[in-house]
Amino acid sequence: MDLIRRRGAAAAVLAGPGAVAGAVEGRAEMKELTRVSGSVRGAVRADLDEVFRRDYQLVVGVAARVLGSRHQAEDVAQDVFLAFGRSSVPAGEARGWLSVAAAHTALNLLRSGRRRASREENVATADDAVVSDVAEAVVMLEERRRVRAALARLPRKQAVALVLRHSGLSYVEVAAALDLSPGSVGTTVRRAESALRKELNRHASSS
Amino acid sequence: MRHPAEGVLRRLLDEPAGVADGDRDHVAVCEECLRRLVAVRQDADLVHAALATEPDADVDLAAAWQRLSSASASGRVRAAALPHAGRVRTALRRPVVAGVAVAAVLVGAGTAAANDWLQIFRTERIAPVSLSTADLNALPDLRAYGEVVVTGDPDVHPVPDAATAVAESGLDVPEVTSLPRGVSGEPTYQVGDEVSLTFTFSAARAARAAAEAGEALPPPPAGVDGSRVRLVAGPGVAGIWSRPAGVPDLVVGRAVAPRAFSSSGVPFETLRDYLLSLPALPENVAAQLRTFNADGSTLPLPVPADHVTTSSAQVDGVRATVLATRDRSLAAVVWVKDGLVTVVAGSLDADEVLSVARGLR
Repeated sequence: MDLIRRRGAAAAVLAGPGAVAGAVEGRAEMKELTRVSGSVRGAVRADLDEVFRRDYQLVVGVAARVLGSRHQAEDVAQDVFLAFGRSSVPAGEARGWLSVAAAHTALNLLRSGRRRASREENVATADDAVVSDVAEAVVMLEERRRVRAALARLPRKQAVALVLRHSGLSYVEVAAALDLSPGSVGTTVRRAESALRKELNRHASSS
Repeated sequence: MRHPAEGVLRRLLDEPAGVADGDRDHVAVCEECLRRLVAVRQDADLVHAALATEPDADVDLAAAWQRLSSASASGRVRAAALPHAGRVRTALRRPVVAGVAVAAVLVGAGTAAANDWLQIFRTERIAPVSLSTADLNALPDLRAYGEVVVTGDPDVHPVPDAATAVAESGLDVPEVTSLPRGVSGEPTYQVGDEVSLTFTFSAARAARAAAEAGEALPPPPAGVDGSRVRLVAGPGVAGIWSRPAGVPDLVVGRAVAPRAFSSSGVPFETLRDYLLSLPALPENVAAQLRTFNADGSTLPLPVPADHVTTSSAQVDGVRATVLATRDRSLAAVVWVKDGLVTVVAGSLDADEVLSVARGLR
C-alpha cells in the first residue's frame, strides 16, 4: 500500500476519537512534528524538592485566584510541579515558569471543565464550616461564579498577567514570564482590571 | 508635560520606584492624574478582593510533597500548560469526519427535551460499521441537510512534551511501557482542543440535495425541520513515534469520548429514523445504523471494509475494537472506558498494537 493510502486508512481509523484524528494527517504536519523535541522521559530534576518548598504556595495561590477553589488549585499545583520536575527549565526562571504554567493550566480547567468546577465548588462550600448561613453561601457562590466567568472571557495574556500580578509577582517578573516589556505590564494589568470591573458591574446591576 | 498612561499609574500603585521620576513628579501635582489614579486604585482593589481566596497559610506542604513524590515515582506524567509556538491547524475532513458526525447524529437516542440541550448519549463503546470505500464516499456531507456550525477549534497542534500535553488537554497521556520491535526513540506530542459541531436540520436544504441526486425528499415529520443536535468531542492528546521520513510508526491517542446533545421539539428517534430514510444514505449503512441499540451509548466507527478487517478483543477490562488493513500494513485498537476513548495505531500488526494497548499505563 502506498503512503497516501496508508495515511488515509490511519485517518479513517482515527476519525472516531475525534480530536486525535488530525494527528497523523498531512505531510507538512509530520515535518512540523519531527522538529519538535519530545524528550521528557528520564530522571526528575535534582532541585525539585527545593523549588517545591519555595514556590508551592505561590503556585497554589495563582491557581486558586483563577479557580476560586483551593482544592482544585492544589490539583493544578501537583500537575505543574510534575511537569517542572521533568523539565529542564533553568532554575532562575522557575518561579515565572511555574506561575505561568499554573495560570494557564487553571484557565484551561476553567474553560474546559466549567461544569465540573462549579460542582466541586458547591461541594467545597458546603463543607466549609465558616459559611454557616445558607443565604450567605449562595451569594458567595454566585459572586465566585461571576468572577471566574469574567476571568475566562478576558484575553489570555491579560488574564495571566492579572493573576500573576495579584499573586505577588513583581512587574519585572511578570514581564519576564510573559515576554512583555516591564513598561507594558502595567498597561496589560490595567486593561484586565478595567474589563473585569466592567463585567462585574454589568452583572451586578443586571441581577 | 503630557499625562502618563494608565499603565504607568497602575504601576505607581504597586511599585512607585519602577515609574520614571518625571511621571511621578507630574502625578503628584496634577489633579487630573490624581483623579485617574483614584479610579485605577479602585479597580485594582475591587479585582484584588474578587480574586482573593481563602487565607494562604493553610497549605499542607508535607502532604503535598508526599503526593507529588508518589505521583512522580509512579511514572505518571501530568502537568503544565505552557504557551506553545507553531500551531498547526487541521480542518475537519470529509468524508470521514462528516461520516462519523452523521453516524453519531443518527445513533443517539432517548427523548430530546423541548427547549434545552439534553444529553442523548455519552459514548461507552465503539462499534465498527462496515462500509465499502464507495459507501464511505457516498456518505452524505451533513451540510447537504442543514446548517453545520463547528464551535471550538480542534486546533490540533504539537506541544513540546508529554507534560504540556497533559496540562493542555487535562488528560493523562497514556504511557507506553514497552515499544514494539522496530519502533524506537521518543514520541512527539500533539494536543487537540474540545470541538463541538451543531447540526440544524433544514428541510429546504435536504430537499435541494435530494433533487440534485434526482430523488424526492421524504416529507419530514412535524418538528424535524429546524431541530438541532450538538456533538461534542475532545479534548484529546496523542503521542506519535515517527521515522525521519515522517511516517508515523505508532500513535497512541486519548480523547474525551464524543457526547451528543439534542435540542428539539421532536423525539430523537423521529429525527434519527427520518435521517436514516434519506435517499443519499446507502441502504446497507442505514441498516447497520438501525441495529444500534436505543440507549445510544455506542458510537459507530465507519470502517472501509474492503481495506480493513475488524475483530474484538479485551483491553483494560473492556471490549475493544481491533482494526487491521488487509495488507497488514496498519493496525489499530480502539476502546472506550470511563468516558475516554483511547486508540493505539501504527504500521504494525494487530498483535503488536494489542500488546502496546494492554501495556499502557
